[in-house]
Amino acid sequence: MATVDLASLSVREANERIREFAEAGEDVDVLNPDARHHIGVGLVRPITLRIHGSAGYFCGGLTDGPRVEVDANVGWGLADNMLSGSMVVRGNASAIAGVAIRGPDVVVHGNIGSRAGQVMKEGTLLAGGNASFMAGYMMYGGRLVICGDSGEQLGQDMTGGTIYVGGRIQSLGTDAMLTDLDREDADELAEFLDRYEIPFTGSFQKIVNAGKQLRYARSEPRVRVIPFFEASEVTNYWNEKVQEDVSIKAQLGRYRIRGYGAARPLAHLSDLAFKQDLSMVPPDPGAVDRVELSTSLGGRFGATPIELSMPVMIAPMSYGALSKSTKIALAKASALSDICDNTGEGGLSDEVRAAAKRIVFQCLGGRLGWNIHDMRRADGIEIYISQGAKPGLGGQLMAKKVTPEIARIRGIPANIDLRSPSRHPDVLGADDLVIKVEEFREATGYEKPISVKLGAGRVKDDIKIAYKDGFDYTCLDGLQGSTGAASSEVLEFVGIPTLSAIVEGLDALEEIEATGMPIVLMGGIKDGLDTAKAIALGAHAVAMGTSAIIAGGCIACLQCHVGQCVVGIATQDPEHEKRYQIDPEALNIHRFLESVRWQLASILNAHNYANVYELSRADLVALTREAAEITRLPYAPEYRDAPQRLQVATG
Amino acid sequence: MCGIAGILYKDGATPRALGSDLITMLDGCQHRGPDSTGFALYHEGTEHDRLRLRFFVGEGEEASSTLARIKEKMSEFGAEVIEEELIGSTARVIVRFDGDLQAFAYAMEHVAKVVSIGSRLDIVKDIGGAHDVDDNYHIAEFKGSHGIGHVRLATESDVTPDASHPFWATGFADIAIVHNGQITNYWKMRRRLEKRGFEFNTDNDSELIAVYLADKLAQDHTLSEALESSIDDLDGTFSFLVSTQDEIGYAKDRLAAKPMVMYEDGDLVAIASEEVSLNRLFPGEALATSEPTPGTYRTWQRST
Repeated sequence: MATVDLASLSVREANERIREFAEAGEDVDVLNPDARHHIGVGLVRPITLRIHGSAGYFCGGLTDGPRVEVDANVGWGLADNMLSGSMVVRGNASAIAGVAIRGPDVVVHGNIGSRAGQVMKEGTLLAGGNASFMAGYMMYGGRLVICGDSGEQLGQDMTGGTIYVGGRIQSLGTDAMLTDLDREDADELAEFLDRYEIPFTGSFQKIVNAGKQLRYARSEPRVRVIPFFEASEVTNYWNEKVQEDVSIKAQLGRYRIRGYGAARPLAHLSDLAFKQDLSMVPPDPGAVDRVELSTSLGGRFGATPIELSMPVMIAPMSYGALSKSTKIALAKASALSDICDNTGEGGLSDEVRAAAKRIVFQCLGGRLGWNIHDMRRADGIEIYISQGAKPGLGGQLMAKKVTPEIARIRGIPANIDLRSPSRHPDVLGADDLVIKVEEFREATGYEKPISVKLGAGRVKDDIKIAYKDGFDYTCLDGLQGSTGAASSEVLEFVGIPTLSAIVEGLDALEEIEATGMPIVLMGGIKDGLDTAKAIALGAHAVAMGTSAIIAGGCIACLQCHVGQCVVGIATQDPEHEKRYQIDPEALNIHRFLESVRWQLASILNAHNYANVYELSRADLVALTREAAEITRLPYAPEYRDAPQRLQVATG
Repeated sequence: MCGIAGILYKDGATPRALGSDLITMLDGCQHRGPDSTGFALYHEGTEHDRLRLRFFVGEGEEASSTLARIKEKMSEFGAEVIEEELIGSTARVIVRFDGDLQAFAYAMEHVAKVVSIGSRLDIVKDIGGAHDVDDNYHIAEFKGSHGIGHVRLATESDVTPDASHPFWATGFADIAIVHNGQITNYWKMRRRLEKRGFEFNTDNDSELIAVYLADKLAQDHTLSEALESSIDDLDGTFSFLVSTQDEIGYAKDRLAAKPMVMYEDGDLVAIASEEVSLNRLFPGEALATSEPTPGTYRTWQRST
């Protein structure tokens, strides 16, 4: 029996020792826990961990297999995302007990705080006492048992799973309903109560999802829509596009959903120009060898940085929105170009892990596909707060794409119109976020860079929070970013353009004299020229999503949400996915990325710069008054006709 | 974005180690707010016509000249300065005064940034952690019966001493607030109070809560009644602690988005954002804590 005493050890040291003991198969007693956070985080061995006192936030979080016992109380996020094993708390648990669990038994003898079992997928969460409001909020599966009373809005927005309440129910949430408790339920419950020695003699009421809101009442019409970008402000007012929009809404009775990003004209990097005459640079296959493009991200707090052969990353796009074939092709292309891939929502598959040389594993509010094992085998961890295409809103994955396999990975019922949560269960403010970041560091031994993805909204405030909360780097995503599905109004009108975002972000960091937190800019970056401009403005790197997809065969029909993608990219239908040829498309994406590299190198050559970070604002001018206002670069319309196109190298 | 803490020793007759206990609790949740730290402390045994005032005056030459302006304005109001001290970036002044407090307080606000006014209240707040503020203002030496404190992570406003918490209820003596959250009907509530002649010195929603509660108390409501109505009148997410001459209380919004944990025994009641702060007062013990339920409030009074 091993002992770890928190009276003399930091939580970080204690967790390191606990993991060492666990590797040796030894059970551990934790003394003097004194309600400290993150105790036992990241355990993946089936040992018994006894905590003699109270524990703080995320006790036993991001674990698989341990048996954890706590003598007294626990803070927020008990057993966060625990995959298997058991957690027994003798006292009370605070908010979001059993958040995002995927299989364990989580037993709290006392009361549980608000939003218990939020986004839980599998396993049992039991409270011997009462539950505060919104227990079972957005639960996707598993069993939530409340022996005492339940607060308001029980089972709010649940899509799956079962809730049992022994006491009084204050009110039911949207789409939750009472149903009959059958003999089998009662027996199983009795067995569970016995196993954990919970005294309970009453009878339970059973609550399940009523199934009225799992699908949109009407799906998108299968019409040949006008595919591209014609906005009412630009051409005649009641143009065909506007008419089409009105007619389709007349059928749907709600907002339209489509793929891609904002289509209306916005100030962008194309409204900036280099003062240097780029046409004078001859196509030179040797250009790349004469410049330094490589960089790294994520060493701010001593993690192993992510190395990049050039300041370009693949933007996060989910397995779900995209087919597995497409995800593999992107991973392969990122490896061929020696850059870094990103999982997006929906987990990290073995195939993608194997294909990508480096990959960042993204954590979203629904925790769909999120787990400790993939955290460990990723090269970086990213907390998604929002994205440029739809800041403040969650993802939408239409039922057609929620196949049994996608549902299994994400831990959700199949064939629902999945509306991913728009916010994290355990991040309701900057103060909670800092504790979340620390949890990820504890879970991965402080080895992985932890980044944050921010959709541009209140950029100045948000980026200061990102800095203060200790992120290694920030991905800042502008309005021109695309998505697999969102309401078209949101795509067009919600968010801050990429150009404004980077300027505001850098201004904010300067205001608080922040150093050492790089910004990765994304949202409509389409080539090496955009990349060079972004870096000249002050971004450390860029990420490309849409352009990589187009390089890999996308025909930009905007129907990503439908699930019948004709080129096999935005689909989960095997018949459609068959059309996608992984290796040739991987090569196409790779060649596109290499064209970006060549363009970057040529621009540096034209400036006689040896290193990509020699680019600066001094090299740029603004071609429009709006872009000049946004960037404070000199307004120089005379550059409008100057050649800014670079010839693409061959071979 | 922050952490809050408060403590009240039930036997008010014997002053206790209030300063060091609050430092311990705030240090325990400093991760929630490393930018600045503040304390609202209540002195013992003040005579009825004495007022304690603390101002932000800056340092050096600026401090002396601001203090001179403050004293000039004080004499206009017939306030006799009994004690004065420049400490950290503040000036602490004790005066003999028994006129119209609100008019006096607003006049003071117009000369300098007031940190707090009260016959017993003294707010000390500055940038840095709990121990940094203690180094500059000797909080640990403070003995008393109750007080509240705050650690701040600045999100929407600058990291400056005057943007730190706690907030004093501008214009009212002895009322302080620490708040974690965001009041979304801030401007609506503020305009209502302004129409009735109240002044605000910041755009901070914590100041609004303090003035709101102080106004209720001035209308002879009890602190409990004031807190009860605050839950209906304030929109947004909030967990706050309020302190008066001899009470502390909390209120928590119905969404319970901001944490709060409390511990009570025969000797004291302690409330904080996280249990880790409470456990710091009782190292090695498993405390029987409880979590205020959403939409609730409560107050505690010290015995005298």
